[in-house]
Amino acid sequence: MRRTLTVLATLALATPLHAAEGERIRVTGELIDTWCYFSGVMGGTDAVVGTAHHTCALWCSAGGIPVGLRAEDGTVYMVLKIEGSAESAGGDTQLNLASHVIEADGIAYARDGLNYLVVEKVVTDQGITNENHLDYGNVPEFSVPEEAR
Amino acid sequence: MIRPALVALLLALPAVQVSAQDFSAGSEAKSWNLYAEKPARFEAKVVDVLCELTGDCPADCGGGARQLGLVRAADGVLVFPTKNNEPAFSGAVVELLPFCGAEVEVDGLLIEDPDIGATNVYQVQLIRKPGETDWVKANRWTKVWAETHPDAAGPGPWFRRDPRVNAKIAETGYFGLGLEKDREILKELYP
Repeated sequence: MRRTLTVLATLALATPLHAAEGERIRVTGELIDTWCYFSGVMGGTDAVVGTAHHTCALWCSAGGIPVGLRAEDGTVYMVLKIEGSAESAGGDTQLNLASHVIEADGIAYARDGLNYLVVEKVVTDQGITNENHLDYGNVPEFSVPEEAR
Repeated sequence: MIRPALVALLLALPAVQVSAQDFSAGSEAKSWNLYAEKPARFEAKVVDVLCELTGDCPADCGGGARQLGLVRAADGVLVFPTKNNEPAFSGAVVELLPFCGAEVEVDGLLIEDPDIGATNVYQVQLIRKPGETDWVKANRWTKVWAETHPDAAGPGPWFRRDPRVNAKIAETGYFGLGLEKDREILKELYP
């Protein structure tokens, strides 16, 4: 019993209720619109990224919806800051990087099942490389107005 | 002697399962027919997410520039409101900013789809201070956008008139690959 108590005491001390220990990482991924991605409101996750969803990603970023970085392993990090700009709700930096694949160096945090990222440096900006428009068209379809078609 | 201590320790352990609680009781949230939505009404403190995680804390929660979160009173879970209640590509910061640092009661939809990493993601529909009877609808964003963009007034939704968005589309096209490539894509998609 005493050993169990010791183990539990160790666990309780080692795992604070609101743990947010940052970890330096370097990660490559696409900057995405997290609402459309997580909610499925416009279809599956492969359709709401890349060129197919670029205009909508601009709309959502300008509208203050949080931008995420979808890493190559599928992990999504909610991006809270990019190179000194903490304007994560509609800021220019995030808007200008919509749909871009970047290599980011920064501090990752995890809390209550979500991952977060403070990007200290955009190591490389590969631009928009996920060309999925032939698979999905433009998502949503009205993202290209009729007069432009 | 040992047993009360054991119970106390168990209570002190992180309530990993608590985040899976059902918060639907009393919710009046309207469905958006989303795959993983669950109605959820709960009390929470409005926080600046960057501050909450890193200790970088401006006095005004960032004045609308930063993402805001909800630290749920029942379990301390940080819920991330990513969407307001307008079907208009708009986030939740404008709605929650007036309540920066305050306790609120919110009603909306929790998105729980662990297969794609979505947990404790929230669409906020209604906000009020605890004990108040009247709700504030989380649909102020478009009005605030119009007030801050008087030069963009006109017909059609905001996202067709937003100067920054339109400048980006004018520069790199609807698909972001440049105007020449954009014309090629449009010919392929709409022959």
